[in-house]
Amino acid sequence: MVNFKALLKKSTLVGAAAALTMSLAACSGKTSGNAASSDSPVNIIVTNGKGEIDAQFKQAAKDFMKANPNIHVDVKSSAVGDTLNMYDKLTASGKTVTIAMFDPYSAVHKYKDVGMDLSNEKWNAETTYALKDANGKVIGFPFAVEGMGLVYNQKVVEKATGGKFDPFSVNTQDKLKALLDKIKASGVQYPVSYQTEFWSVGNHYSSLFLDQDSDPNVILDKLKAGKMDLTKNAVWNGYYDTLNLLTSKTYNKYGDRPLGQYYDAAHVAVGKGDSAILFNGDWAFDSLKAVAGDNFGFMPVPVDNNPDNPLNNKIAVGPTQVLVINKKATKAQQDAAKKFLNWLVYNQAGQDFIVNKAQIISAFKNNPNKVTNPLGVAISNAIAQNKTMPFSTNYINPSDWSTIIGPEVQKYIGKQESRKDLAKFLESYYKSHQE
Amino acid sequence: MLAKKVDEVSYHTEISQKVIRRKRNLTSLGNSMLFLGPSTIFFAITVVIPFIYGIYLTLNKMDSPIDAMVFSGMLNYVNAFKDAEFWSSLWLTIKFVVATVFFVNLVGFGLAYLVTSGMKIQNSLRTAYFTPNLIGGLVLGYIWQFVFVQSLPALGEKLGISWLKLGWLGDPHMAFWALVIVTIWQTSGYMMIIFIAGLISIPKDLIEAAKIDGAGAFRRLINITLPLMVPSFVVTIFLSLKNAFMVYDLNFSLTKGGPFNSTLMVSMHVVNKAFVEANYGTGQAEAIILFLIVAIVTGIQVYFSKKMEVEA
Repeated sequence: MVNFKALLKKSTLVGAAAALTMSLAACSGKTSGNAASSDSPVNIIVTNGKGEIDAQFKQAAKDFMKANPNIHVDVKSSAVGDTLNMYDKLTASGKTVTIAMFDPYSAVHKYKDVGMDLSNEKWNAETTYALKDANGKVIGFPFAVEGMGLVYNQKVVEKATGGKFDPFSVNTQDKLKALLDKIKASGVQYPVSYQTEFWSVGNHYSSLFLDQDSDPNVILDKLKAGKMDLTKNAVWNGYYDTLNLLTSKTYNKYGDRPLGQYYDAAHVAVGKGDSAILFNGDWAFDSLKAVAGDNFGFMPVPVDNNPDNPLNNKIAVGPTQVLVINKKATKAQQDAAKKFLNWLVYNQAGQDFIVNKAQIISAFKNNPNKVTNPLGVAISNAIAQNKTMPFSTNYINPSDWSTIIGPEVQKYIGKQESRKDLAKFLESYYKSHQE
Repeated sequence: MLAKKVDEVSYHTEISQKVIRRKRNLTSLGNSMLFLGPSTIFFAITVVIPFIYGIYLTLNKMDSPIDAMVFSGMLNYVNAFKDAEFWSSLWLTIKFVVATVFFVNLVGFGLAYLVTSGMKIQNSLRTAYFTPNLIGGLVLGYIWQFVFVQSLPALGEKLGISWLKLGWLGDPHMAFWALVIVTIWQTSGYMMIIFIAGLISIPKDLIEAAKIDGAGAFRRLINITLPLMVPSFVVTIFLSLKNAFMVYDLNFSLTKGGPFNSTLMVSMHVVNKAFVEANYGTGQAEAIILFLIVAIVTGIQVYFSKKMEVEA
């Protein structure tokens, strides 16, 4: 009995000692970097923020390595919804990420010191969506392009208008209202089914007014300098006039009590044709749960009654994920990374991965592939017809806008505060958030 | 001579007793190490050390959990005290606590009374009432979101009840009560189990004596059952207090704090502050303040309700 006890005690000690040494060993592991000698392959780490395409991305890395046996690509994907960037985690554990995937706002703010100058890369000729830093240097390779506007169900709209519908024909507020009335007359009780969640009315809809200048940063700088009176800004007011229309009791399914949790219900209503229009981006397609073969597209969000106003004729489209090459990586790693980016643009397998496998809209004109999702097709057509304006959401701090400004816009929709209050709130936010 | 011998013997026994005592102390230390050691180590690793480290983190300025730490003294606490949203969400949480503690215990006790009253199907009812507790808060939130946004309005439409026609979660007051209703639905079954244990342990002879003395059912409940149930109430009120203060998962999945942050509870505010708005130090400081408040409130509750306990 005594022996048994002693044995137990001993084994506990041994166990504790083992656990300690293991954790120490784990700590010391971080010092082993990726020192590459001249003949061994170059190791590069690529972080992927789009967890949903993890398998496709890893397969693409394998295909790339087959063609380039002297480069080893290690893809690290973050889980969908993880708030910490994979880049932070790996960097904190002492690893050097060679290619990092960031959202454009983070790339030029929080991570502004990470990216190297990519202005002289050949692929710049094939795209207009490369991300530039404050000095105008290209630092971000546009990996995924997305767009937002008024999503419409083509079947429902064409039944109301009788004949082929051109989404760009709705280029004034009056024309939009006329269209809504026509849809209502065709037997659809509520032509709009917009869910008005904070991120949608905040980050997406309420940033659109930044596009009144061809460079959204111009407007932002004015806001930060306190030189912008939003209540007197026609475009800012115009977008909220249109929002009033979209959330009105007459047209919106949820007009009597907007702001509930209607995301799924609203999208299914448009997808099934009980309703015709909502505001969202091309990522909304899966939520529409549409019958195969039904077609959907985007209309611009009209801001006034001038049909020549570019805002009334364009859809907000831009890169929502960019790839950045780390300045701190070795020269060999940077060269390998550049090779990988070129492979994504020019190699058939790379082009196939982006569009066909991962179902991402390519930012590059030379990519001949088209995604299968109708909303994605609508975005690529708008790109081809040059009917796009900057994706305004890329210019604002996405987390502040969803927790601070989004709810404020909801208060406006819920008639808890006036437009003047909202204007004042936004102006004071930018005065105290200069970053 | 003899006396000396006796002295010597007693001296030796004293020593041997001391040795034995010391040995016994050592073995009991060994025993407690054996039985408490492993759990103490795990408790320290998962609770004590992170908690102390957490307090240390509040003295540093960090934007995210992996940023470099810069010592900043009490700055995070100053920011937390200045954060008006934190205090308004705390006030909302206190309202939520009052509503849920009251109703959860009322409903839980009522259910327990019902299923110990000698009905034929009481065992299956116990299982049925307990089941909601087995569903996690996140799943529960999404299920009830469907109920509040789609089922009830559809019912209102069919039956012509005008106040049911609109989704509940779009109105600040209804969204708040939606949270309360789901919490009651989820936790009163659990409290019921604790109340059943209390009800069963009430001596039958007391009830019978009261009956003979002519006490009606209501009098028996007020004067005999409830005073003897105080130990159960101490536990259930403590649990429902703590759960209500710390609510996050249900808040996240049912309303996401909306509409316009009107149902944003304090835990969610802390998480948003730390991880979404990237203010890790301030969020952590707010979490410590929240911990202190909850510890004080529940401590007072347990202290005073313990005093109300009576012996049968």
